[in-house]
Amino acid sequence: MSDLLQVENLQKSFGGLTAVADLSFSVPSGSVTGLMGPNGAGKTTVINLVSGLLRPNRGHVVLNGERIEALPPQHIAARGIARTYQNVRLFSGMTVLEQVMAGCFLRRDTSLFASFLGLPAANAARRAVARHALELLEQVGMAGRGDDLAEALSYGEQRRIEIARALGTQPRLLLLDEPTAGMNAQESDGIGRLVHSLRDGGMTVLMVEHNVRLVMDFCDRVTVMNFGRALTHGTARDCMAHPEVQEAYFGRRDDAERIRALR
Amino acid sequence: MSDWFQDLWAAYRSTLGFAMVNAFFSLSTYAVLSAGILSFATVTYAAAGGFIGTQLALQAHLPVLLVLPASALVGALLAFAVALVFLRLDSHWMALASLALVLITRVVALNATPLTGGVNGLSVPLFFPFAALAGLLALTAVVFWRLSNSWYGIAARAVREDPAVASTLGIPPRRIQTIAFVVSGAVGGLGGMTLALMLQFLSPETYFINIAFTMIAAVVLGGSYHWAGAILGACVFTALPVIAQAVLPEFEKVLNGVALLLIMIFLPRGLIDPRGWKLRRAAKSP
Repeated sequence: MSDLLQVENLQKSFGGLTAVADLSFSVPSGSVTGLMGPNGAGKTTVINLVSGLLRPNRGHVVLNGERIEALPPQHIAARGIARTYQNVRLFSGMTVLEQVMAGCFLRRDTSLFASFLGLPAANAARRAVARHALELLEQVGMAGRGDDLAEALSYGEQRRIEIARALGTQPRLLLLDEPTAGMNAQESDGIGRLVHSLRDGGMTVLMVEHNVRLVMDFCDRVTVMNFGRALTHGTARDCMAHPEVQEAYFGRRDDAERIRALR
Repeated sequence: MSDWFQDLWAAYRSTLGFAMVNAFFSLSTYAVLSAGILSFATVTYAAAGGFIGTQLALQAHLPVLLVLPASALVGALLAFAVALVFLRLDSHWMALASLALVLITRVVALNATPLTGGVNGLSVPLFFPFAALAGLLALTAVVFWRLSNSWYGIAARAVREDPAVASTLGIPPRRIQTIAFVVSGAVGGLGGMTLALMLQFLSPETYFINIAFTMIAAVVLGGSYHWAGAILGACVFTALPVIAQAVLPEFEKVLNGVALLLIMIFLPRGLIDPRGWKLRRAAKSP
């Protein structure tokens, strides 16, 4: 399996704080890859670097053989990377359908000017996009909710709309930043199944996830980060068994024993 | 009955005219606001469109119907240049920079005597039929209606709400905002020339802070999320002082401020609020 995304020696610091330090990992084409790590490990920074919202101080982000780390976000989106946000960021005042339509901007198949003039071809293209947006809503389980105001919906529903909006760009690589945060087990499994169906449709997914059970169940590969570096790569089970990973999450055994001896 | 109507028309004809002129200014402000930019530079586009348009009519003897598109073009070109500089700034600084531009505009208007007549001002002995003004505003409204229903409108709303998210969806924020500036400049330039035609006299004080205040108030009052809000707001804010003078002359000066305060407290999203409609519709349907 070839790699769709390669992250090479990536480094990003904010003033004196190094969020990502010399990070390298890859996302195989057609996989669901999980990015794990304790709080503050730098996972969201990685997503921001890959999607172009941040520029790295050093290192490369390579999509399908092309270096993209210096491109602005809209060009990265046009090359096939879409994302969602840790704290849902939908557009205020827009209906569900309008959100997804905004996501379809790259695939509108008409010029802004033709659309302004309301040329018949532009109107036909617009209707086709609207139909496609409705299909995407159906795909994420939000059929029939197109006319609702997005901000009036529940958190879980908003997350699904955000995924549909990202799918509107027709990405090759979908970045999900904690897609199940604040969800119960049932809702989380729903997201997991949605991710699997997207992968089976040929999409590659990189997801930041805290929920270990979900990572075990739904990720083909995992990269575990701590302090801005990759600790280990591999299957979810191998990663969980890795001593450094256990240490990152639970602390060191001899530390625990020393503390116990003090009591 | 018809006498009564004619009296009313004679008394309030100019109020309606100024309402339409102000509608151009508030639409110009709305054009950038709808892409997430607060800018007072409309005053500058208006001055450029008004002074240059007037000179084109007086010196080059261009007919008024050609002067108006020329004023729009002048405003659009100027706004494009402003956009190149302003879009490098963050939002607060952009608003301040646009205020600075308004102050510079007045200094230039005072000193560029051949163009503006300097302190003596400039007489504008041109005639423009009332119906043509209404027609021009209607045409501008159609442009805004088309803009908001096109892909540009979707992109502009996304950029207004969250430029970073918009960019990760492939929407180029700078390009969308540049278009917004150019539209704002064209409508501002047009408004500047219609103001010259209404007043028939221009001075360096014509295009100044008072316009900036009226247009921001009008957009806030009418609703900054729909183009019709800008027009409605301009009408209300033009009529308010006139009504106040007829009914409560002592309170004329404070009424504008009080109205603005009341609106901000009770209708923070303005008289025309598409989000409110959507919420109410959602509440009605089960």
